[in-house]
Amino acid sequence: MSGTDESQGDALPGPLEGLRVIEIGDLGEVAGKLLADAGADVIRVEPPGGGRSRRVGPFIDDDPGQPSLLHASRNTSKRAVTLDVRQAPGLELWRRLVGRVDVVIDATAPTFLDELGGGWEWAESQPELSGCVWCSISPFGRTGPRRDWAASDLVQLALGGPMMSNGYDDHSLPPIRPEGEHSIAVSNEYAVSGVLAALWMRNAGHSGQLVDVSIHEAVSATTEGAFPNWEYFGRLVQRQTGRHAAPDPTAAWQYLASDGQYVCLINGGLPRGNSAWDGLLDWMDEHDAAGDLRDGQYQELLFSDPRANPEGRRHVANTIGDFVQSRPAEEVYRRSQALHFAWGIVRRPEQNLDDPHWEDRGFFWQGEVPGVEGTVRYPGAPYRFTKSPVRLRRRPPLVGEHNHEVYVGELGLTSGELRGLLESGVV
Amino acid sequence: MPPDLPLPLDGIRVTDFSWIVAGPQATRILADLGADVVKVENESYLDSMRIGLRQDPKNPSLNRSGFHSNLSRNKRSITANLFHPKGREAVERLLAASDVVIENFSAGAFGRMGFSWERLQEINPSLIYVSVSGFGHVGRDASYTTWGPSAQAISGATAMSGLADQPPAGWGFSYLDHSAGYYAAIAALMALHHRARTGEAQHVDMSQIECGMVVSAVPMLDYQINGRSYECVGNRSRYPATAPHNTYPCAGDDRWIAIAVDDEAQWAALCEVLGLAALCDDSRFTDMASRKAHEDALDEALAAVTCEREPFELMLELQERGVPTGVCQRTDDKQERDPQLAERGFYPTAPHEELGEHRYEGLPMQFSKARWRMDRGAPLLGEHNHAVLTELLGYSDEEFANMLGELAI
Repeated sequence: MSGTDESQGDALPGPLEGLRVIEIGDLGEVAGKLLADAGADVIRVEPPGGGRSRRVGPFIDDDPGQPSLLHASRNTSKRAVTLDVRQAPGLELWRRLVGRVDVVIDATAPTFLDELGGGWEWAESQPELSGCVWCSISPFGRTGPRRDWAASDLVQLALGGPMMSNGYDDHSLPPIRPEGEHSIAVSNEYAVSGVLAALWMRNAGHSGQLVDVSIHEAVSATTEGAFPNWEYFGRLVQRQTGRHAAPDPTAAWQYLASDGQYVCLINGGLPRGNSAWDGLLDWMDEHDAAGDLRDGQYQELLFSDPRANPEGRRHVANTIGDFVQSRPAEEVYRRSQALHFAWGIVRRPEQNLDDPHWEDRGFFWQGEVPGVEGTVRYPGAPYRFTKSPVRLRRRPPLVGEHNHEVYVGELGLTSGELRGLLESGVV
Repeated sequence: MPPDLPLPLDGIRVTDFSWIVAGPQATRILADLGADVVKVENESYLDSMRIGLRQDPKNPSLNRSGFHSNLSRNKRSITANLFHPKGREAVERLLAASDVVIENFSAGAFGRMGFSWERLQEINPSLIYVSVSGFGHVGRDASYTTWGPSAQAISGATAMSGLADQPPAGWGFSYLDHSAGYYAAIAALMALHHRARTGEAQHVDMSQIECGMVVSAVPMLDYQINGRSYECVGNRSRYPATAPHNTYPCAGDDRWIAIAVDDEAQWAALCEVLGLAALCDDSRFTDMASRKAHEDALDEALAAVTCEREPFELMLELQERGVPTGVCQRTDDKQERDPQLAERGFYPTAPHEELGEHRYEGLPMQFSKARWRMDRGAPLLGEHNHAVLTELLGYSDEEFANMLGELAI
């Protein structure tokens, strides 16, 4: 545990302190959250009534009238205003908001804001906005023959390729889309790198610019070995149950442990060194499960060419597989890790709430969800900054919660003007 | 992209001790964006991806993996020997000339190689250190190790992938090697911005498993607030509760199409294109809620028709009508037949001395006043020893020759 300062709690600024961002549209909420948790002042601009994620479940108590947990998961640390940019006074306010920020996260359809006169084309023509970094996040990018195609997370993971690597040995079963809207995740992660790179350039004396992120490309770049197998060998990987897709079938990695939970045995469970091998056999001997594996031929083949003696390797893998199925999953996981195997336990997401390792790291952020008494634990950030903590800065905002603060307090509207805009449905 | 446009991260230097996929994925993004990324390798800490998917396994060259070339393109390579005092000194000079150092060894290994955070600060007080490991460097299980699939399993990402009546399907690749790399690139850039504002460098401690847990946020909140344990739904849509939303078999060998109907107009268009007017009038399928309630029958009726259809023609017809639809594309579909990826230049080609001219995966973004680069494939092992040591680190040609002779390099 050397070399890391314990964060000094809530007093320290985040790494992006001072950065000002507005975010609009439904596909960029994760990018906005990553910037906001890191200390940027991010204002999410939603249509009156709220954006899409507020209407997607699960909801508190499964009541659609209650706040959405999808929304909560993506909007920590932000402020929120409402605005109908399709109305002239709304567009005017939008333009004023753009004038105050360093970064626009524009996850509306590629031509939506340009057609209204409040998009990148407009911003680019305004000399006083020359420092603006405008990040467009759209299903297929702002150019190309399929720019306006209809998409969804399922469609993106199909077209981008991951699904054809995910599924089962039995190909009468379909390719599988993992849940979690990973097309939003990976595209937004790339978008944040693009924004930070464009800001770096701006701070070095260049102007701001458009960063045009294509979700299709972000997903297409996220398939690991499928690309080189085709590019260099002309071979297509085939999906397999619970392990890497490969051009030719490989041994099973995933086993059902005795308590009904699955475990994941990297490399089919075969050890990579003598000490691991001996430790594994000792552990198996405790349960009379080592069979004939102490026979020297098996140890030898572990250190030989992986293509040598496939029957012998299969016998070793099967014997290990039979053994782990006779033990509870948590034991398989902890004992194997203690022996320096990189094996895993297939946990449901909520099971990590009970693993104290994540508390040691301060991974969970205690915070409020509007509509819930007390606090809950939010999954935090996957990076632990030792000097400028990334952390929960605000609970997720209610619809229009910061209208008064932003429009009156910061843009200088009068309360009467704001009331008028609310009444006419602009805000 | 016009070659005279600037590279956004021009002037940033990264010492890259990363290997396999997760770390190299991070430094690949930084290198594509223009950072000078210098890989440091040696026989005892070789980037083992150099021997992954080699073109000719009988050829002992360490420069013939297309997998490695795709991950380490645009980077430079030196072979400094940390077990020789002069090799170590060269690495320390490189660290002194760098903005960022990235490694993804098991937790603690980099410290044992002589580069604890304290030591790194002595070498270069403005150096940012990004470490990527399975469980992070802090916490009771920090000594545990992961590969992509075990990290996915532990994080919950594997369990969130599968059919309700089958074992977890998980991921057929190391998804968390990609996303740990994406997050590590973000971490390096955030830390650079922080340093630019405050002058302060820091260690950023990343956990690969946490990269999977952040995309499991909704089920974790659902469990705490509604008491619900996670259950798989296959390719259906639980939230919002829409139907049809699934993959359907098509004509051909293992061909599938994804259809995700979001409203009644799309449903009507789908029935028309598939010639299933009777479905539209079926009382079980009149609105979203009734279709959801009879989803098994609905999916069965659709699959009975899609299985006769050529998938790409069906996709074009449905997209013409505004129905969110996509073929489950194979890699050859993406690289050879996807007009959108082709038009946007997503697979640029670049030379490589041993692999020849090949395509590479692009960076999924375009800048209006900058470019990302795809100049050359991965560096040959030690290709830049002379350039880095003499031009960057200040060694004379004679000193360099001596270091080579002493196997310090």
